[in-house]
Amino acid sequence: MQADARDIADLISRCALRDRAAFRALYDRTSAKLFGVILRILKDRAETEEAIQEVYVKIWQKADRYVSSNTSPISWLCAVARNHALDIIRARRPTNEDIDVALDIPDLSPNPERQTEAAEDSARIEYCLGTLDPDRADAVRGAYLDGFSYEELASRHSVPVNTMRTWLRRSLIKLRECLTT
Amino acid sequence: MTEQDFEQEDERRAAVAEYVLGLLGPKAHAAIEARIAQKVDLQRERDFWVQRFAHLDNQVEPVTPPSHLFQNLEARLFGAEKRTSFWDSLVFWRSMAAGALAVAAVAVAFTALEPQPNSGQLATQLVAALQAEGSDVEFVALYDGTGAVRLTSLSGDAVPGSDYELWAIQGGQNPISMGVVPVNARTTVELSDAVRAGWGEGSVLAITLEPAGGAPNGVPTGPVVAQGAVTKI
Repeated sequence: MQADARDIADLISRCALRDRAAFRALYDRTSAKLFGVILRILKDRAETEEAIQEVYVKIWQKADRYVSSNTSPISWLCAVARNHALDIIRARRPTNEDIDVALDIPDLSPNPERQTEAAEDSARIEYCLGTLDPDRADAVRGAYLDGFSYEELASRHSVPVNTMRTWLRRSLIKLRECLTT
Repeated sequence: MTEQDFEQEDERRAAVAEYVLGLLGPKAHAAIEARIAQKVDLQRERDFWVQRFAHLDNQVEPVTPPSHLFQNLEARLFGAEKRTSFWDSLVFWRSMAAGALAVAAVAVAFTALEPQPNSGQLATQLVAALQAEGSDVEFVALYDGTGAVRLTSLSGDAVPGSDYELWAIQGGQNPISMGVVPVNARTTVELSDAVRAGWGEGSVLAITLEPAGGAPNGVPTGPVVAQGAVTKI
């Protein structure tokens, strides 16, 4: 882990110990990044200002869970921010519950190669996105970075929603194959 | 597996990816979340996607939030009163279980971050600066290979009715008490066998504020007012 990441991991651990000064330092070090993540999804400054406070409340409350996660400290913080922003827009969207999800999921077969951990080459996801059609790679990026829904992606790419969903699911399966080989 | 099984499995993995991307509606999202919470293989699949997509985070431009936000946030978290002193965080330490959990969490974090000590280093000289932001308690610890740590208090005031207690956190173990230590003084603390077993570069020393006489059950209950990792001189 890089020195910067170690510092941030240390600050998160000290938040778990209820160290308010560490919380302040963590905020100073990371809030611009998380503000960027949330703003990109909510696309509204006033909402982002409210949301980022809620995110840091969560970080303070859940700091002890960081140590059990397997991600880098910055990724963990970004995930808390991103998921919170997504919760906000999900609650606001017209409900589109016609999408069926295979919920009755039997065990997935283990994939030994998948166990290679996250520290690996961060260029890999970019490389693998590059193996998809540019349109579809854009859709995956749009879903992750901008929090676009299937409807939004469909209208941006001028295709029906069902087509977008089929595209994206196939792209995700291809992406997974690329990432695990 | 048959061709059809493979296809079904791909579908399931894609569903977890859709969940991670946030593409599902509220009901489907909540349902798959509940499912993931029950099943380790789905958790692994979720972690796979979370970790891989996380590399895209660096495509997001940082945007500095307005400076007044932190004050609002502090008020929201810690109450409307003016910025309180570090000592007030004692409120959070009333629950011993929570305290023990958090200290154990730090121990795990440090184990993950620091190289494992190796026994060959036992004879080398080690030093640790113990401090914490927001606290004026500072100690320096020196270990010269003789089996004892010389602890020098640099700053910090005695707190009536309380004592400072020294802890060793190492190798993912629970903190081991090294006893109550005075402020404004120098002391020598012998390493117990339990501490010595894991002692070396990467061990963490921490000072907590405890009830007079030290933590009653050998488990830290007070705030960490200073801490530092042991490093070679």
